[in-house]
Amino acid sequence: MSCSKFETDLALYAGDDLPAGRVARIESHLAECADCRALAQDLRASQALLSELRDEPLDDAMVAQVHHRVLAEVKNTPWTWGAGFTPRGALAPLLTLAAALLLAVVLLWPRHQPKHVPVARVEPAHVTPIAPMPGPDIVPVRHRVVRRHMRPAPAAQVGPPLLVQFVTDDPNIVIYWLVDQKPQGD
Amino acid sequence: MTAWRRENTGDLAAFEQIMSQSERRVLRVALRLLNNQQDAQDAAQEVFLRLYKHFGDLDETRGYEPWLYRVTVNVCRDIARGRRRSIGLAEVPDPVTPQPDAYHDAERAQQREIVRRGLSRLGEKERAALVLRDVEGLSTREVAGILGSSENTVRSQICSARLKLRDFTGRLLRRRS
Repeated sequence: MSCSKFETDLALYAGDDLPAGRVARIESHLAECADCRALAQDLRASQALLSELRDEPLDDAMVAQVHHRVLAEVKNTPWTWGAGFTPRGALAPLLTLAAALLLAVVLLWPRHQPKHVPVARVEPAHVTPIAPMPGPDIVPVRHRVVRRHMRPAPAAQVGPPLLVQFVTDDPNIVIYWLVDQKPQGD
Repeated sequence: MTAWRRENTGDLAAFEQIMSQSERRVLRVALRLLNNQQDAQDAAQEVFLRLYKHFGDLDETRGYEPWLYRVTVNVCRDIARGRRRSIGLAEVPDPVTPQPDAYHDAERAQQREIVRRGLSRLGEKERAALVLRDVEGLSTREVAGILGSSENTVRSQICSARLKLRDFTGRLLRRRS
């Protein structure tokens, strides 16, 4: 080959891959170089044979064998139908429902149980003094004043609990409230 | 509803339809890349199983052909590397004596066989580029997209491959003539 610098362009030219700007130059060279014309002819012959490979018929039995093998494999997969494990497959509605249920459970599940559940609300106007009952003394309810930095009182100075009775609108409901007495030091 | 969309909803019939449309193309490419029928069948089977598995991941708007080509090239590369099969000149079948009325066809078939053997002697990347460009007739840009290379790289590969193939086929064809 005497024109090695044209080989690359000739190989591209044979397959119509040569940029337009270089086509004129290679055609001009081919017009005056017999060796390069022979090379171009060989390359085109190879191109023609390659393109014939595309049209060669395949053995139907070989194609069918692959077809059946794939389908058998697909039907035997544990995930069967459902487009794999993707949400866009047939499993999508089930996955969406499961996710919604899980979210609802998480949001609605009680975080903690309240320590004190009020039994009934008592209107102040309905609180009536009651007669002393046997047992511990009954005294009027006082708000307990909580003072910071208060010294803890000795346990021995805490008096007996007081019993407070609340009367509600419903005569069948009476609320009794045991109240610790304030330490005597206050 | 397109076949692609129906496939995404999990329709086995649609998958089978797509496989029927593309199985010959996949097998043909695998045969050219591996030059072995059993290997090509194994490769095609693996390609379609991957297609089945990745339905939801594929972009419907881009179609499935580029994906199929890319996976076919990758699967064939893995099989070739694993089995290390190589076809030498000694394996080129001896020419049969053709009947006079079929002389031209038989001669042409022998030439195609030589080209097939020549393909098998190319490097992995050059062979893939040449098969996609010259056998499958894809554009250089499409080949570049499938192989994950630049267009310049693909041009360089097919240029080198064509020259090597021409050397191989020219030598054998001249010897036979």
